[in-house]
Amino acid sequence: MVRGIIAFALFQVFGVVFFGAEQFFQTEVIGFSNGLIFALVALGYTLVYGIIELINFAHGDVFMLGSMLAFLLIGPIFAVTVDTPVLLKVGIILLVLGVTMIGTAALNVSIERVAYKPLRNAPKLAPLISAIGMSFVLQNVGLLLAGPGNKSIDNIFGTANILSVFGIEGVTINIQQVFVAIVTIPLLIVLSWFVSTTRQGKAMRATAQDPDTAGLMGVDVNRTIAITFLIAGALAGAAGVVQILYNNTTVWNLGFRFGLNSFTAAVLGGIGNLQGAVLGALVLGFINAFSDRFFSTNWTNALVFGILIAILVFKPTGLLGQQLADRA
Amino acid sequence: MTTSTMDVGLTGAIPDDEILVRTRGVTKRFGGLVAVNNVDFDIPRRSIVSLIGPNGAGKTTFFNMITGAYVPTTGQIEFDGQQIVYMKGKKLRSRKPHEVTAMGIGRTFQNIRLFGTMSALDNVRTGIHVHLKSHWWDAIVRTPSMLNEEQSSIDEGMRLLELVGLERRPETWARNLPYGDQRRLEIARALGTRPKLLLLDEPTAGMNASETRQMTDFIRKLRAELGLTVLLIEHDMRVVMGISDRITVLDHGEVIAEGNPAEVRANPRVIEAYLGRGAAEA
Amino acid sequence: MSSATKQVGSGIGGWVGHMVDAAAAIPGHYGNLLAKRRGRTIALTLLGLLALTYPLIYNQFLAGLSRNVFPLPVPDETTMTFMLIFGIMAIGLNIVVGFAGLLDLGYVAFYALGAYTAAFFASPHFGSISIVLFSNVVSGFPGIHLPFWMILPMAVLVAATFGALLGAPTLRLRGDYLAIVTLGFGEIVPVFFKNLAAITFTFTIGGVTLISLQDVNLTGGPLGINPIDPFVILGVGFGATSGVAAVYFAMALTIIGIIVARNLERSRMGRAWGAIREDETAAEMMGVNTVRTKLLAFALGASFAGVAGAFQASYLGATTSDFFQFSTSILVLIMVILGGIGNIWGVLAGAIVLVYIDKTLLIWLGQRIGSVAPDFPNPSQFNFLIFGILLVVMMRFRPEGFIPSRQRAAELSVHGLEEAETAMGVDVETDNVSVAPPGQAELDREAELPSDLDDL
Repeated sequence: MVRGIIAFALFQVFGVVFFGAEQFFQTEVIGFSNGLIFALVALGYTLVYGIIELINFAHGDVFMLGSMLAFLLIGPIFAVTVDTPVLLKVGIILLVLGVTMIGTAALNVSIERVAYKPLRNAPKLAPLISAIGMSFVLQNVGLLLAGPGNKSIDNIFGTANILSVFGIEGVTINIQQVFVAIVTIPLLIVLSWFVSTTRQGKAMRATAQDPDTAGLMGVDVNRTIAITFLIAGALAGAAGVVQILYNNTTVWNLGFRFGLNSFTAAVLGGIGNLQGAVLGALVLGFINAFSDRFFSTNWTNALVFGILIAILVFKPTGLLGQQLADRA
Repeated sequence: MTTSTMDVGLTGAIPDDEILVRTRGVTKRFGGLVAVNNVDFDIPRRSIVSLIGPNGAGKTTFFNMITGAYVPTTGQIEFDGQQIVYMKGKKLRSRKPHEVTAMGIGRTFQNIRLFGTMSALDNVRTGIHVHLKSHWWDAIVRTPSMLNEEQSSIDEGMRLLELVGLERRPETWARNLPYGDQRRLEIARALGTRPKLLLLDEPTAGMNASETRQMTDFIRKLRAELGLTVLLIEHDMRVVMGISDRITVLDHGEVIAEGNPAEVRANPRVIEAYLGRGAAEA
Repeated sequence: MSSATKQVGSGIGGWVGHMVDAAAAIPGHYGNLLAKRRGRTIALTLLGLLALTYPLIYNQFLAGLSRNVFPLPVPDETTMTFMLIFGIMAIGLNIVVGFAGLLDLGYVAFYALGAYTAAFFASPHFGSISIVLFSNVVSGFPGIHLPFWMILPMAVLVAATFGALLGAPTLRLRGDYLAIVTLGFGEIVPVFFKNLAAITFTFTIGGVTLISLQDVNLTGGPLGINPIDPFVILGVGFGATSGVAAVYFAMALTIIGIIVARNLERSRMGRAWGAIREDETAAEMMGVNTVRTKLLAFALGASFAGVAGAFQASYLGATTSDFFQFSTSILVLIMVILGGIGNIWGVLAGAIVLVYIDKTLLIWLGQRIGSVAPDFPNPSQFNFLIFGILLVVMMRFRPEGFIPSRQRAAELSVHGLEEAETAMGVDVETDNVSVAPPGQAELDREAELPSDLDDL
């Protein structure tokens, strides 16, 4: 913990010196916002891996479909624009969040039923390959629905800069970024509370540790797994809504980039570890932002892959180690 | 080969004629748990030695260190005059298991670990591999030396199957053999590595009285006919008492008794370890 | 099992003698097969003859015909060549995934490396120098131009080296993490080929410029490198414009590949791979050097992709980074899984069928549907939707594929186990068979010895 804080402080100093204060802080703001979105998706990866030791390849594409659904609702259907009255805006956003989260949650649970549940006793690689197949299916569904190009909406938040209120020039925090934080942070808190306090959360942790014993102790393992997928799906849906409102664009292969980053985040933080996933996601948000800004967007994905490989080879337990499931 | 700079004095590279395996101060810690604690152990050539003790005493962990699967936290292990465990710089290192096998240690497993979808003969041939010399490029072109080697490994494999009484079904998949046959096949596979030392991990587990007798006679035959040294982990006391030249008793990772069967049987600490304090005093 | 019941003489003479004996024994073998399983042998013989003569048949009779003669479209020469190119890759990936049991999701990297080896060393790409050796190209022509019999071994070497390099980090990882790392490499390598088209880079120390690159085009990126010299033997070219000759060249390469893979399978190496796949720890204990054996699986498997890539580049006369995507890795994997894991003929069949579907059937279907219902999505653009569904369905119902090896079938599913055992004459009902479900052995073993022997 202390080491982390010191590292972060050093990073700030280094950044200001090397990149210049304004650019550095601006990139940090962008990195933080992206990181929060990554966090929502990363939690989905880590929850599912924690409970059934499966890398759900298709998760990023569930997120993509969530973002597409949100696009459909906000753009063509409800036609929200920057001029829509604030109260109505908020109401519609809440509605879209609800509908999308329910939609992706239902989708995720169905995917589990169809593609993973029948393979629970199969050799480990069968569900992995099935997940890959599922990922292609979902991507093509997105392609079918939206075509190969980007789908965009206009920015509904306007361009006001919060920081200008405080008299700070050079660095902008706009309303989208505040919006990202307002939606994601409460969700993360609720999730944390859910897993640690509620009976269902305890059931999830027990199943992650040892499904057979959990079953013997009266936990409905099938239902617990389904609920895990439900939560993961809902989070992905929320992330999709936030994404379209923040970046204003969605595309059929959006899931690839987000999936890559979010999965790397989950591994970086320690697969199975919820706090780790969030921490890892923030780190990856930063890495993406800095790489895009100061290096080259062409290379960012390769860089992230390189980081993923490095973690898996050198420190597969991640920064914070495994927690939800303490299996070797 | 590596040079070793051991702190504790040892005989040089000349193999000790009497002792095949020598361990000194071997300790293994897993995090906070001490699985094996400061074990000194000698196995004389051509002896049958049993390692016994209650469950969790550290016997299989000890086995695993002799074969190179685990690196001890501290200690030395010497086999046939060569170091299995050695210091490299400041870190204690162990030879890899396949190197240890090449040096002449073969083993079986507590839970049978045959290659299920390979034939009985191929299982044995996998053991013989370590002594074959042909390379993958010989395989691609099928050079005469490779073909001859293949044939000789088949011949040797069949001889070993015959030794364990399985010569009638060499093509049967290992997973389809009855339990007793699987146990014997595992031994045949271990013998394929042409070992000097054979480590048997609970060879009579799950066997009835007559099968146990057969296995016991078989182990004696291995020593008599092949000149093998055998180290057993066993729970069946009749086997242990009946076959062993020496017995070492482990409890909680430490040696609590050592000697011939009569000595160990009467040892109060051994009785206590197995049956509890009251029984020792009874 | 064993085909040699006597000692083989040593040296070249011995080898030749053995080969002659083996060849002489073939008619005898064939007679045996005919006697034992008449129907099947004849069917397969006819199929084989058809495959061998098909390019000529096509050339003479089918090329000009409209597709309405047969109910389904007939593959043309380019498709046939690609069937074989992917066939070679499927056989190679089968070594890694089927024989050694290592799930490699990044196979496209080696395909790319092979293609670019041809692109660098048999094209005008490096225009500022001129090296022409044993090639049809006029001496003094810009670029490096080596003949195919140099390019192919180079491609093998490059691919094999990278196979070992990229496989090395995965050695201590278990199944799913191994897959992810290979996937990572399978993505990173193509990104390099895509981005190194305009390298601008300066390296100065203390005011002295050591390296200065200005818009250097190393790989051509999405625009690629062209033209690439076609393979030429004795004046006969094997490029896309040479028609039938190219198909037969690819066939020859494929046959060599089958022989190599088969010889490896039936050798000490093949058995070592099988042992590692079944139980890596036990294999190590029995003296198998698992590190070396796994690295060889990666290297040897990759070399097949290298050959395929080099040939493809010369065949098309061009290459571009667009050819090499993650989806290609998965496509080859599907061929292996669908066709039959572990079985050389199975994966070859898988490659042929999948290339047919991808390059002929779906396009034809698209045209048909397009003429009737123009707004309906074109199946050829949604090929991976179909492949994805195929994967999910296969994993659910037949994870070992259609024509798997017996070992893999037994390992992967209960009905596969029964089929394999029935084929071997085991009476599934009464013989003493192991009843643990496939996968159970894996779980049992994981519970026993800790699988991370990372003290070593």
